[in-house]
Amino acid sequence: MGELIAPFLYDYMLKAMFVSALVGAVCAFLSAFLMLKGWSLMGDALGHAVVPGVAGAYLLQLPYAAGAFVAGLLAALGMALVKQRTRLREDAIIGLVFTAFFAAGLLIASIYPTSVSIQTIVLGNILGISDEDVVQVVIISLVSLAILIAKWRDLVVVFFDESHARTVGIKADALKVLFFTLLAACTVAALQTVGACLVIAMVVTPGATAYLLTDRFGRLIVLSVLIGAATSFIGAYASYFLDGATGGVIVTLQTVVFLIAFYFAPKHGVLAGRRRQAQSSGGAIP
Amino acid sequence: MTELWDFFAVPMGYAFMQRALLAAVLIGAVCAVLSCYLVLKGWSLMGDAISHAVLPGVVLSFVLGLPFAIGAFAAGLTCALLTGYLKENSRVKEDTVMGIVFSGMFGLGLVLFTKVETDQHLNHILFGDMLGITHSDLIEVAIIAGVTLLIIIAKWRDLLLYCFDPQHARAIGLPLGVIHYGLLVLLALTIIASLKAVGIILVVAMLVAPGAIAYLLTDRFSRMLMIAAGVAIGSSVLGTLVSFHIDGATGPCIVLIQAFVFVLAFLFAPRRGIFALRRAALTQPPC
Repeated sequence: MGELIAPFLYDYMLKAMFVSALVGAVCAFLSAFLMLKGWSLMGDALGHAVVPGVAGAYLLQLPYAAGAFVAGLLAALGMALVKQRTRLREDAIIGLVFTAFFAAGLLIASIYPTSVSIQTIVLGNILGISDEDVVQVVIISLVSLAILIAKWRDLVVVFFDESHARTVGIKADALKVLFFTLLAACTVAALQTVGACLVIAMVVTPGATAYLLTDRFGRLIVLSVLIGAATSFIGAYASYFLDGATGGVIVTLQTVVFLIAFYFAPKHGVLAGRRRQAQSSGGAIP
Repeated sequence: MTELWDFFAVPMGYAFMQRALLAAVLIGAVCAVLSCYLVLKGWSLMGDAISHAVLPGVVLSFVLGLPFAIGAFAAGLTCALLTGYLKENSRVKEDTVMGIVFSGMFGLGLVLFTKVETDQHLNHILFGDMLGITHSDLIEVAIIAGVTLLIIIAKWRDLLLYCFDPQHARAIGLPLGVIHYGLLVLLALTIIASLKAVGIILVVAMLVAPGAIAYLLTDRFSRMLMIAAGVAIGSSVLGTLVSFHIDGATGPCIVLIQAFVFVLAFLFAPRRGIFALRRAALTQPPC
Protein backbone atom coordinates (compact mmCIF):
# COMPACT_ATOMS: atom_id res chain seq x y z
CA MET A 1 0.00 0.00 0.00
CA GLY A 2 2.79 2.35 0.92
CA GLU A 3 4.32 1.71 -2.47
CA LEU A 4 1.18 2.78 -4.29
CA ILE A 5 1.10 6.23 -2.74
CA ALA A 6 4.84 6.73 -3.17
CA PRO A 7 4.46 8.91 -6.30
CA PHE A 8 2.37 11.39 -4.31
CA LEU A 9 5.24 12.00 -1.93
CA TYR A 10 7.50 13.54 -4.55
CA ASP A 11 7.10 17.11 -5.75
CA TYR A 12 8.19 16.30 -9.27
CA MET A 13 5.62 13.50 -9.52
CA LEU A 14 2.80 15.70 -8.25
CA LYS A 15 3.81 18.35 -10.74
CA ALA A 16 3.96 15.81 -13.56
CA MET A 17 0.57 14.29 -12.75
CA PHE A 18 -1.34 17.54 -12.42
CA VAL A 19 0.27 19.22 -15.43
CA SER A 20 -0.40 16.11 -17.53
CA ALA A 21 -4.03 16.01 -16.41
CA LEU A 22 -4.51 19.68 -17.29
CA VAL A 23 -2.92 19.29 -20.72
CA GLY A 24 -4.86 16.08 -21.29
CA ALA A 25 -8.12 17.86 -20.51
CA VAL A 26 -7.53 20.77 -22.92
CA CYS A 27 -6.30 18.52 -25.74
CA ALA A 28 -9.31 16.25 -25.24
CA PHE A 29 -11.64 19.24 -25.51
CA LEU A 30 -10.14 20.07 -28.91
CA SER A 31 -10.14 16.43 -29.97
CA ALA A 32 -13.94 16.41 -29.96
CA PHE A 33 -13.89 18.90 -32.84
CA LEU A 34 -10.80 17.65 -34.64
CA MET A 35 -12.01 14.07 -34.83
CA LEU A 36 -15.45 14.93 -36.20
CA LYS A 37 -14.02 17.26 -38.85
CA GLY A 38 -11.42 14.72 -40.04
CA TRP A 39 -8.48 16.94 -39.24
CA SER A 40 -6.47 14.38 -37.29
CA LEU A 41 -3.52 14.72 -39.66
CA MET A 42 -3.42 18.43 -38.92
CA GLY A 43 -2.77 17.71 -35.24
CA ASP A 44 0.06 15.35 -36.12
CA ALA A 45 1.58 17.82 -38.58
CA LEU A 46 1.52 20.73 -36.13
CA GLY A 47 3.10 18.55 -33.46
CA HIS A 48 6.07 17.84 -35.72
CA ALA A 49 6.25 21.28 -37.32
CA VAL A 50 6.88 23.13 -34.05
CA VAL A 51 10.06 21.15 -33.37
CA PRO A 52 12.53 23.53 -35.12
CA GLY A 53 10.98 26.43 -33.21
CA VAL A 54 11.47 24.67 -29.89
CA ALA A 55 15.03 23.65 -30.80
CA GLY A 56 15.84 27.20 -31.88
CA ALA A 57 14.30 28.67 -28.73
CA TYR A 58 16.30 26.38 -26.46
CA LEU A 59 19.42 27.25 -28.43
CA LEU A 60 18.85 31.00 -28.00
CA GLN A 61 17.43 30.56 -24.49
CA LEU A 62 14.07 32.08 -25.35
CA PRO A 63 10.74 30.79 -23.98
CA TYR A 64 10.15 27.54 -25.87
CA ALA A 65 6.48 28.36 -26.44
CA ALA A 66 7.32 31.46 -28.48
CA GLY A 67 9.63 29.56 -30.83
CA ALA A 68 7.14 26.74 -31.21
CA PHE A 69 4.37 29.14 -32.01
CA VAL A 70 6.33 30.91 -34.76
CA ALA A 71 7.34 27.60 -36.35
CA GLY A 72 3.77 26.31 -36.24
CA LEU A 73 2.51 29.49 -37.86
CA LEU A 74 5.12 29.32 -40.63
CA ALA A 75 4.26 25.69 -41.32
CA ALA A 76 0.54 26.49 -41.52
CA LEU A 77 1.23 29.35 -43.93
CA GLY A 78 3.49 27.13 -46.04
CA MET A 79 0.82 24.45 -46.30
CA ALA A 80 -1.85 26.99 -47.24
CA LEU A 81 0.39 28.54 -49.91
CA VAL A 82 1.34 25.24 -51.56
CA LYS A 83 -2.25 24.02 -51.42
CA GLN A 84 -3.52 27.14 -53.13
CA ARG A 85 -0.97 27.06 -55.95
CA THR A 86 -0.55 23.39 -56.88
CA ARG A 87 -2.71 20.40 -57.74
CA LEU A 88 -1.10 18.19 -55.10
CA ARG A 89 -3.39 16.38 -52.69
CA GLU A 90 -3.73 17.84 -49.23
CA ASP A 91 -2.25 14.83 -47.43
CA ALA A 92 0.89 14.98 -49.58
CA ILE A 93 1.31 18.69 -48.88
CA ILE A 94 0.92 18.23 -45.15
CA GLY A 95 3.38 15.33 -45.18
CA LEU A 96 5.87 17.33 -47.19
CA VAL A 97 5.78 20.46 -45.05
CA PHE A 98 5.80 18.89 -41.61
CA THR A 99 8.68 16.53 -42.39
CA ALA A 100 10.75 19.40 -43.79
CA PHE A 101 10.19 21.40 -40.60
CA PHE A 102 10.90 18.41 -38.42
CA ALA A 103 14.11 17.70 -40.33
CA ALA A 104 15.24 21.28 -39.75
CA GLY A 105 14.70 20.80 -36.02
CA LEU A 106 16.67 17.56 -36.00
CA LEU A 107 19.53 19.16 -37.91
CA ILE A 108 19.74 22.03 -35.40
CA ALA A 109 19.77 19.53 -32.54
CA SER A 110 22.42 17.35 -34.18
CA ILE A 111 24.75 20.30 -34.70
CA TYR A 112 24.27 21.70 -31.17
CA PRO A 113 23.70 18.55 -29.11
CA THR A 114 24.61 20.18 -25.79
CA SER A 115 22.06 22.97 -25.73
CA VAL A 116 19.17 21.14 -27.40
CA SER A 117 18.02 17.72 -26.28
CA ILE A 118 16.16 16.27 -29.20
CA GLN A 119 14.91 13.33 -27.18
CA THR A 120 13.14 15.67 -24.75
CA ILE A 121 11.41 17.43 -27.61
CA VAL A 122 10.37 14.34 -29.53
CA LEU A 123 9.45 12.09 -26.63
CA GLY A 124 8.57 14.63 -23.95
CA ASN A 125 10.02 14.72 -20.48
CA ILE A 126 7.33 15.70 -18.02
CA LEU A 127 9.16 14.08 -15.10
CA GLY A 128 12.10 16.40 -15.60
CA ILE A 129 10.23 19.51 -16.69
CA SER A 130 11.74 22.82 -15.60
CA ASP A 131 9.72 25.35 -13.59
CA GLU A 132 9.73 27.95 -16.38
CA ASP A 133 8.30 25.36 -18.75
CA VAL A 134 5.62 24.41 -16.21
CA VAL A 135 4.54 28.05 -16.00
CA GLN A 136 4.29 28.27 -19.79
CA VAL A 137 2.31 25.02 -20.06
CA VAL A 138 -0.11 25.97 -17.30
CA ILE A 139 -0.77 29.45 -18.71
CA ILE A 140 -1.30 28.12 -22.24
CA SER A 141 -3.64 25.38 -21.02
CA LEU A 142 -5.73 27.57 -18.73
CA VAL A 143 -6.16 30.33 -21.31
CA SER A 144 -7.09 27.80 -24.02
CA LEU A 145 -9.54 26.07 -21.69
CA ALA A 146 -11.19 29.36 -20.77
CA ILE A 147 -11.58 30.37 -24.43
CA LEU A 148 -12.94 26.94 -25.33
CA ILE A 149 -15.49 26.97 -22.53
CA ALA A 150 -16.63 30.44 -23.56
CA LYS A 151 -16.80 29.75 -27.29
CA TRP A 152 -17.57 26.07 -27.78
CA ARG A 153 -21.18 26.57 -28.82
CA ASP A 154 -20.16 29.04 -31.52
CA LEU A 155 -17.47 26.62 -32.72
CA VAL A 156 -20.04 23.82 -32.99
CA VAL A 157 -22.29 25.99 -35.13
CA VAL A 158 -19.42 27.10 -37.36
CA PHE A 159 -18.03 23.62 -37.90
CA PHE A 160 -21.24 21.72 -38.44
CA ASP A 161 -23.57 24.28 -39.98
CA GLU A 162 -21.61 27.11 -41.48
CA SER A 163 -24.45 28.73 -43.41
CA HIS A 164 -26.54 28.83 -40.27
CA ALA A 165 -23.60 30.39 -38.45
CA ARG A 166 -23.46 33.17 -41.03
CA THR A 167 -27.17 33.92 -40.81
CA VAL A 168 -27.05 34.28 -37.04
CA GLY A 169 -24.08 36.60 -37.41
CA ILE A 170 -21.20 34.50 -36.10
CA LYS A 171 -17.87 35.41 -37.66
CA ALA A 172 -17.00 32.01 -39.10
CA ASP A 173 -13.54 32.79 -40.45
CA ALA A 174 -12.39 34.50 -37.28
CA LEU A 175 -13.52 31.50 -35.24
CA LYS A 176 -11.68 29.08 -37.53
CA VAL A 177 -8.48 31.07 -37.10
CA LEU A 178 -9.11 31.04 -33.36
CA PHE A 179 -9.57 27.28 -33.39
CA PHE A 180 -6.32 26.60 -35.20
CA THR A 181 -4.49 29.02 -32.94
CA LEU A 182 -5.82 27.08 -29.96
CA LEU A 183 -4.80 23.82 -31.61
CA ALA A 184 -1.27 25.13 -32.11
CA ALA A 185 -1.17 26.34 -28.50
CA CYS A 186 -2.30 22.97 -27.16
CA THR A 187 0.19 21.14 -29.35
CA VAL A 188 2.89 23.26 -27.78
CA ALA A 189 1.63 22.37 -24.31
CA ALA A 190 1.31 18.67 -25.13
CA LEU A 191 4.86 18.64 -26.44
CA GLN A 192 6.11 18.81 -22.86
CA THR A 193 4.05 15.87 -21.66
CA VAL A 194 4.07 13.34 -24.48
CA GLY A 195 6.47 14.77 -27.06
CA ALA A 196 6.09 15.68 -30.72
CA CYS A 197 5.43 12.16 -31.98
CA LEU A 198 2.54 11.40 -29.67
CA VAL A 199 0.73 14.74 -29.72
CA ILE A 200 -1.67 13.28 -32.26
CA ALA A 201 -3.01 10.78 -29.73
CA MET A 202 -3.78 13.52 -27.21
CA VAL A 203 -5.78 15.52 -29.76
CA VAL A 204 -7.61 12.58 -31.36
CA THR A 205 -8.08 9.52 -29.16
CA PRO A 206 -10.19 10.88 -26.25
CA GLY A 207 -12.66 12.48 -28.65
CA ALA A 208 -12.97 9.31 -30.72
CA THR A 209 -13.54 7.25 -27.57
CA ALA A 210 -16.28 9.59 -26.37
CA TYR A 211 -17.83 9.52 -29.85
CA LEU A 212 -18.43 5.79 -29.43
CA LEU A 213 -20.15 6.36 -26.11
CA THR A 214 -22.64 9.13 -26.78
CA ASP A 215 -24.61 10.84 -29.52
CA ARG A 216 -24.91 14.28 -27.98
CA PHE A 217 -22.16 16.78 -28.56
CA GLY A 218 -22.30 18.43 -25.15
CA ARG A 219 -21.92 15.08 -23.45
CA LEU A 220 -19.24 14.08 -25.92
CA ILE A 221 -17.10 17.04 -24.84
CA VAL A 222 -17.57 16.30 -21.14
CA LEU A 223 -16.73 12.62 -21.58
CA SER A 224 -13.77 13.40 -23.78
CA VAL A 225 -12.32 15.86 -21.27
CA LEU A 226 -12.81 13.37 -18.43
CA ILE A 227 -11.12 10.59 -20.42
CA GLY A 228 -8.26 12.85 -21.46
CA ALA A 229 -7.61 14.15 -17.95
CA ALA A 230 -7.96 10.76 -16.26
CA THR A 231 -5.73 8.85 -18.69
CA SER A 232 -3.05 11.55 -18.53
CA PHE A 233 -3.12 11.62 -14.73
CA ILE A 234 -3.03 7.84 -14.35
CA GLY A 235 -0.45 7.51 -17.12
CA ALA A 236 1.90 9.93 -15.39
CA TYR A 237 1.29 8.11 -12.10
CA ALA A 238 2.03 4.72 -13.66
CA SER A 239 5.20 5.95 -15.34
CA TYR A 240 6.70 6.31 -11.86
CA PHE A 241 6.75 2.53 -11.61
CA LEU A 242 8.13 2.11 -15.13
CA ASP A 243 10.99 4.58 -14.73
CA GLY A 244 9.95 6.99 -17.46
CA ALA A 245 8.37 6.91 -20.92
CA THR A 246 5.48 8.98 -19.50
CA GLY A 247 4.23 9.91 -22.96
CA GLY A 248 4.23 6.29 -24.08
CA VAL A 249 2.30 5.18 -20.98
CA ILE A 250 -0.35 7.91 -21.33
CA VAL A 251 -0.94 7.18 -25.00
CA THR A 252 -1.00 3.41 -24.53
CA LEU A 253 -3.60 3.89 -21.82
CA GLN A 254 -5.71 6.12 -24.07
CA THR A 255 -5.55 3.51 -26.84
CA VAL A 256 -6.60 0.75 -24.45
CA VAL A 257 -9.59 2.81 -23.29
CA PHE A 258 -10.52 3.37 -26.94
CA LEU A 259 -10.36 -0.37 -27.67
CA ILE A 260 -12.55 -1.13 -24.64
CA ALA A 261 -15.11 1.38 -25.85
CA PHE A 262 -14.85 -0.08 -29.36
CA TYR A 263 -15.97 -3.48 -28.11
CA PHE A 264 -18.20 -2.74 -25.14
CA ALA A 265 -19.81 0.64 -25.88
CA PRO A 266 -23.52 0.30 -25.04
CA LYS A 267 -24.84 1.41 -28.42
CA HIS A 268 -22.00 1.75 -30.92
CA GLY A 269 -19.72 -1.05 -29.73
CA VAL A 270 -18.99 -4.20 -31.71
CA LEU A 271 -20.72 -6.45 -29.19
CA ALA A 272 -23.84 -4.27 -29.11
CA GLY A 273 -23.91 -4.37 -32.91
CA ARG A 274 -23.72 -8.15 -32.90
CA ARG A 275 -26.47 -8.44 -30.33
CA ARG A 276 -28.69 -6.17 -32.41
CA GLN A 277 -28.01 -8.24 -35.50
CA ALA A 278 -28.90 -11.47 -33.72
CA GLN A 279 -32.17 -9.97 -32.49
CA SER A 280 -33.20 -8.45 -35.79
CA SER A 281 -32.61 -11.68 -37.68
CA GLY A 282 -35.06 -13.26 -35.26
CA GLY A 283 -32.69 -16.02 -34.35
CA ALA A 284 -32.57 -16.91 -30.67
CA ILE A 285 -29.09 -16.82 -29.25
CA PRO A 286 -28.17 -20.42 -28.55
CA MET B 1 37.92 23.53 -58.35
CA THR B 2 39.98 21.35 -56.05
CA GLU B 3 37.61 22.19 -53.22
CA LEU B 4 34.72 20.86 -55.22
CA TRP B 5 36.72 17.75 -56.03
CA ASP B 6 37.55 17.28 -52.37
CA PHE B 7 33.89 17.63 -51.44
CA PHE B 8 33.23 14.38 -53.30
CA ALA B 9 36.60 12.67 -53.10
CA VAL B 10 37.46 12.97 -49.41
CA PRO B 11 34.38 11.09 -48.10
CA MET B 12 34.98 8.34 -50.66
CA GLY B 13 38.18 7.47 -48.86
CA TYR B 14 36.22 6.11 -45.90
CA ALA B 15 34.64 2.67 -46.03
CA PHE B 16 31.65 3.77 -43.93
CA MET B 17 30.95 6.60 -46.40
CA GLN B 18 31.11 4.21 -49.35
CA ARG B 19 28.52 2.00 -47.66
CA ALA B 20 26.38 5.00 -46.74
CA LEU B 21 26.39 6.36 -50.29
CA LEU B 22 25.52 2.98 -51.75
CA ALA B 23 22.63 2.68 -49.29
CA ALA B 24 21.54 6.23 -50.17
CA VAL B 25 21.28 5.31 -53.87
CA LEU B 26 19.31 2.12 -53.18
CA ILE B 27 16.91 3.70 -50.69
CA GLY B 28 16.44 6.80 -52.80
CA ALA B 29 15.50 4.70 -55.83
CA VAL B 30 12.96 2.46 -54.13
CA CYS B 31 11.34 5.27 -52.12
CA ALA B 32 11.06 7.46 -55.20
CA VAL B 33 9.26 4.84 -57.26
CA LEU B 34 6.78 4.06 -54.50
CA SER B 35 6.24 7.74 -53.71
CA CYS B 36 4.80 8.34 -57.20
CA TYR B 37 2.00 5.89 -56.41
CA LEU B 38 1.43 7.15 -52.89
CA VAL B 39 1.14 10.77 -54.00
CA LEU B 40 -1.43 9.87 -56.64
CA LYS B 41 -3.37 7.55 -54.37
CA GLY B 42 -3.40 9.91 -51.36
CA TRP B 43 -1.72 7.44 -49.03
CA SER B 44 0.84 9.76 -47.47
CA LEU B 45 -0.69 9.34 -44.03
CA MET B 46 -0.55 5.57 -44.46
CA GLY B 47 3.22 5.80 -44.91
CA ASP B 48 3.46 7.93 -41.78
CA ALA B 49 1.29 5.51 -39.80
CA ILE B 50 3.11 2.32 -40.82
CA SER B 51 6.52 3.83 -40.12
CA HIS B 52 5.59 4.87 -36.57
CA ALA B 53 3.87 1.56 -35.86
CA VAL B 54 7.07 -0.34 -36.62
CA LEU B 55 8.61 0.54 -33.23
CA PRO B 56 7.03 -2.16 -31.00
CA GLY B 57 7.90 -4.74 -33.67
CA VAL B 58 11.55 -3.78 -33.51
CA VAL B 59 11.63 -4.22 -29.72
CA LEU B 60 9.66 -7.49 -29.74
CA SER B 61 11.80 -9.03 -32.46
CA PHE B 62 14.81 -8.34 -30.26
CA VAL B 63 13.12 -10.07 -27.31
CA LEU B 64 12.31 -13.09 -29.49
CA GLY B 65 15.74 -13.13 -31.09
CA LEU B 66 14.48 -12.54 -34.63
CA PRO B 67 15.99 -10.22 -37.24
CA PHE B 68 14.52 -6.78 -36.67
CA ALA B 69 13.12 -6.59 -40.21
CA ILE B 70 10.65 -9.40 -39.49
CA GLY B 71 9.24 -7.80 -36.34
CA ALA B 72 9.07 -4.42 -38.04
CA PHE B 73 7.26 -5.87 -41.03
CA ALA B 74 4.72 -7.68 -38.85
CA ALA B 75 4.06 -4.57 -36.78
CA GLY B 76 3.67 -2.38 -39.88
CA LEU B 77 1.13 -4.73 -41.43
CA THR B 78 -0.70 -5.10 -38.10
CA CYS B 79 -1.15 -1.34 -38.06
CA ALA B 80 -2.61 -1.31 -41.58
CA LEU B 81 -4.94 -4.27 -40.94
CA LEU B 82 -6.07 -3.03 -37.53
CA THR B 83 -6.89 0.37 -39.01
CA GLY B 84 -9.01 -1.32 -41.68
CA TYR B 85 -10.78 -3.51 -39.10
CA LEU B 86 -11.55 -0.67 -36.67
CA LYS B 87 -12.82 1.52 -39.46
CA GLU B 88 -15.14 -1.15 -40.84
CA ASN B 89 -16.63 -1.85 -37.43
CA SER B 90 -17.15 1.60 -35.97
CA ARG B 91 -18.39 5.00 -37.03
CA VAL B 92 -15.06 6.75 -36.46
CA LYS B 93 -13.44 8.32 -39.54
CA GLU B 94 -10.51 6.58 -41.21
CA ASP B 95 -7.87 9.24 -40.57
CA THR B 96 -8.84 9.35 -36.89
CA VAL B 97 -8.64 5.57 -36.58
CA MET B 98 -5.26 5.59 -38.25
CA GLY B 99 -4.02 8.26 -35.87
CA ILE B 100 -5.24 6.28 -32.87
CA VAL B 101 -3.70 3.01 -34.00
CA PHE B 102 -0.27 4.27 -34.97
CA SER B 103 0.15 6.57 -31.99
CA GLY B 104 -0.99 3.75 -29.70
CA MET B 105 1.53 1.37 -31.21
CA PHE B 106 4.29 3.97 -31.08
CA GLY B 107 3.49 4.69 -27.43
CA LEU B 108 3.51 0.99 -26.62
CA GLY B 109 6.85 0.69 -28.41
CA LEU B 110 8.32 3.45 -26.26
CA VAL B 111 7.10 1.77 -23.07
CA LEU B 112 8.51 -1.59 -24.19
CA PHE B 113 11.75 0.09 -25.11
CA THR B 114 12.33 1.43 -21.61
CA LYS B 115 11.59 -1.97 -20.10
CA VAL B 116 13.67 -4.10 -22.48
CA GLU B 117 17.41 -3.79 -22.85
CA THR B 118 17.99 -3.99 -26.60
CA ASP B 119 21.09 -3.71 -28.70
CA GLN B 120 19.44 -0.98 -30.75
CA HIS B 121 19.91 2.64 -29.82
CA LEU B 122 16.54 4.42 -29.63
CA ASN B 123 17.89 7.51 -31.36
CA HIS B 124 19.11 5.40 -34.28
CA ILE B 125 15.69 3.86 -34.76
CA LEU B 126 13.91 7.21 -34.48
CA PHE B 127 16.28 9.36 -36.52
CA GLY B 128 18.34 6.92 -38.58
CA ASP B 129 22.04 6.21 -38.57
CA MET B 130 23.17 6.32 -42.16
CA LEU B 131 26.86 6.67 -41.41
CA GLY B 132 26.77 3.66 -39.10
CA ILE B 133 25.41 1.22 -41.68
CA THR B 134 27.22 -2.10 -41.51
CA HIS B 135 27.97 -4.53 -44.28
CA SER B 136 25.13 -6.87 -43.33
CA ASP B 137 22.71 -3.93 -43.06
CA LEU B 138 23.67 -2.97 -46.59
CA ILE B 139 22.95 -6.47 -47.88
CA GLU B 140 19.56 -6.44 -46.13
CA VAL B 141 18.71 -3.07 -47.66
CA ALA B 142 19.82 -4.28 -51.10
CA ILE B 143 17.66 -7.40 -50.94
CA ILE B 144 14.54 -5.60 -49.70
CA ALA B 145 14.94 -2.71 -52.12
CA GLY B 146 15.71 -5.05 -55.02
CA VAL B 147 12.66 -7.25 -54.46
CA THR B 148 10.38 -4.23 -54.03
CA LEU B 149 11.68 -2.57 -57.18
CA LEU B 150 11.31 -5.78 -59.20
CA ILE B 151 7.70 -6.23 -58.11
CA ILE B 152 6.83 -2.63 -58.90
CA ILE B 153 8.52 -2.76 -62.31
CA ALA B 154 6.73 -6.00 -63.17
CA LYS B 155 3.31 -4.71 -62.11
CA TRP B 156 3.57 -0.97 -62.63
CA ARG B 157 0.59 -0.67 -64.96
CA ASP B 158 -1.78 -2.60 -62.69
CA LEU B 159 -0.70 -0.55 -59.70
CA LEU B 160 -1.15 2.67 -61.63
CA LEU B 161 -4.62 1.74 -62.77
CA TYR B 162 -5.55 0.82 -59.20
CA CYS B 163 -4.33 4.18 -57.91
CA PHE B 164 -5.98 6.25 -60.62
CA ASP B 165 -9.22 4.48 -61.36
CA PRO B 166 -10.19 1.58 -59.09
CA GLN B 167 -13.61 1.20 -60.77
CA HIS B 168 -11.99 0.66 -64.14
CA ALA B 169 -9.46 -1.71 -62.61
CA ARG B 170 -12.33 -3.75 -61.17
CA ALA B 171 -14.18 -3.70 -64.49
CA ILE B 172 -11.30 -5.25 -66.40
CA GLY B 173 -11.03 -7.94 -63.76
CA LEU B 174 -7.96 -7.00 -61.77
CA PRO B 175 -7.93 -8.52 -58.29
CA LEU B 176 -8.33 -5.31 -56.28
CA GLY B 177 -7.86 -6.97 -52.89
CA VAL B 178 -4.55 -8.50 -53.94
CA ILE B 179 -3.29 -5.19 -55.35
CA HIS B 180 -4.43 -3.24 -52.27
CA TYR B 181 -2.65 -5.53 -49.85
CA GLY B 182 0.26 -5.93 -52.25
CA LEU B 183 0.79 -2.18 -52.22
CA LEU B 184 0.62 -2.18 -48.41
CA VAL B 185 3.24 -4.93 -48.26
CA LEU B 186 5.50 -3.01 -50.65
CA LEU B 187 5.05 0.10 -48.54
CA ALA B 188 5.97 -1.72 -45.33
CA LEU B 189 9.04 -3.27 -47.01
CA THR B 190 10.24 0.08 -48.32
CA ILE B 191 9.82 1.69 -44.92
CA ILE B 192 11.88 -1.04 -43.27
CA ALA B 193 14.63 -0.68 -45.86
CA SER B 194 14.76 3.08 -45.24
CA LEU B 195 14.63 2.92 -41.43
CA LYS B 196 18.39 2.53 -41.09
CA ALA B 197 19.01 5.58 -43.18
CA VAL B 198 16.51 8.22 -42.16
CA GLY B 199 14.69 6.76 -39.16
CA ILE B 200 11.04 6.19 -38.30
CA ILE B 201 9.93 9.81 -38.29
CA LEU B 202 11.46 11.05 -41.54
CA VAL B 203 10.70 8.01 -43.70
CA VAL B 204 7.44 9.64 -44.73
CA ALA B 205 9.40 12.51 -46.32
CA MET B 206 11.25 10.04 -48.54
CA LEU B 207 7.87 8.55 -49.45
CA VAL B 208 6.19 11.84 -50.38
CA ALA B 209 8.69 14.45 -51.54
CA PRO B 210 10.13 12.82 -54.71
CA GLY B 211 6.68 11.99 -56.11
CA ALA B 212 5.34 15.43 -55.23
CA ILE B 213 8.28 17.17 -56.92
CA ALA B 214 7.93 15.06 -60.06
CA TYR B 215 4.19 15.67 -60.11
CA LEU B 216 4.82 19.41 -60.40
CA LEU B 217 7.17 18.90 -63.34
CA THR B 218 5.39 16.51 -65.67
CA ASP B 219 2.04 15.06 -66.69
CA ARG B 220 3.30 11.68 -67.88
CA PHE B 221 3.65 8.89 -65.37
CA SER B 222 6.72 7.27 -66.92
CA ARG B 223 8.52 10.60 -66.84
CA MET B 224 7.28 11.20 -63.30
CA LEU B 225 8.92 7.95 -62.19
CA MET B 226 12.23 8.92 -63.73
CA ILE B 227 12.25 12.46 -62.34
CA ALA B 228 11.32 11.19 -58.88
CA ALA B 229 14.10 8.61 -58.96
CA GLY B 230 16.62 11.20 -60.14
CA VAL B 231 15.62 13.69 -57.45
CA ALA B 232 15.59 11.10 -54.67
CA ILE B 233 18.91 9.50 -55.54
CA GLY B 234 20.55 12.87 -56.13
CA SER B 235 19.36 14.38 -52.85
CA SER B 236 20.16 11.22 -50.86
CA VAL B 237 23.75 11.21 -52.12
CA LEU B 238 24.17 14.96 -51.73
CA GLY B 239 22.55 14.92 -48.28
CA THR B 240 24.91 12.17 -47.11
CA LEU B 241 27.93 14.11 -48.37
CA VAL B 242 26.74 17.37 -46.80
CA SER B 243 26.13 15.72 -43.45
CA PHE B 244 29.66 14.34 -43.55
CA HIS B 245 31.10 17.81 -44.08
CA ILE B 246 28.97 19.78 -41.61
CA ASP B 247 29.01 16.96 -39.05
CA GLY B 248 25.20 16.97 -38.76
CA ALA B 249 22.62 14.16 -38.79
CA THR B 250 22.24 12.52 -42.21
CA GLY B 251 18.48 11.91 -42.42
CA PRO B 252 17.55 15.56 -41.85
CA CYS B 253 20.12 16.71 -44.45
CA ILE B 254 18.57 14.46 -47.10
CA VAL B 255 15.05 15.57 -46.25
CA LEU B 256 15.98 19.26 -46.24
CA ILE B 257 17.65 19.00 -49.65
CA GLN B 258 14.51 17.37 -51.00
CA ALA B 259 12.43 20.15 -49.49
CA PHE B 260 14.71 22.69 -51.16
CA VAL B 261 14.26 20.97 -54.52
CA PHE B 262 10.51 21.06 -53.95
CA VAL B 263 10.62 24.80 -53.34
CA LEU B 264 12.62 25.25 -56.56
CA ALA B 265 10.10 23.16 -58.50
CA PHE B 266 7.24 25.04 -56.86
CA LEU B 267 8.66 28.37 -58.03
CA PHE B 268 10.26 27.54 -61.38
CA ALA B 269 8.45 24.50 -62.82
CA PRO B 270 8.09 25.17 -66.56
CA ARG B 271 4.30 24.91 -66.72
CA ARG B 272 2.96 24.76 -63.17
CA GLY B 273 5.50 26.86 -61.25
CA ILE B 274 4.53 30.16 -59.66
CA PHE B 275 6.53 32.17 -62.20
CA ALA B 276 5.19 30.23 -65.17
CA LEU B 277 1.63 30.81 -63.98
CA ARG B 278 2.32 34.50 -63.49
CA ARG B 279 3.84 34.78 -66.98
CA ALA B 280 0.84 33.00 -68.44
CA ALA B 281 -1.47 35.42 -66.64
CA LEU B 282 0.46 38.41 -68.03
CA THR B 283 0.48 37.27 -71.66
CA GLN B 284 -3.23 36.60 -71.68
CA PRO B 285 -5.12 39.52 -73.20
CA PRO B 286 -7.18 41.40 -70.62
CA CYS B 287 -10.85 40.90 -71.11
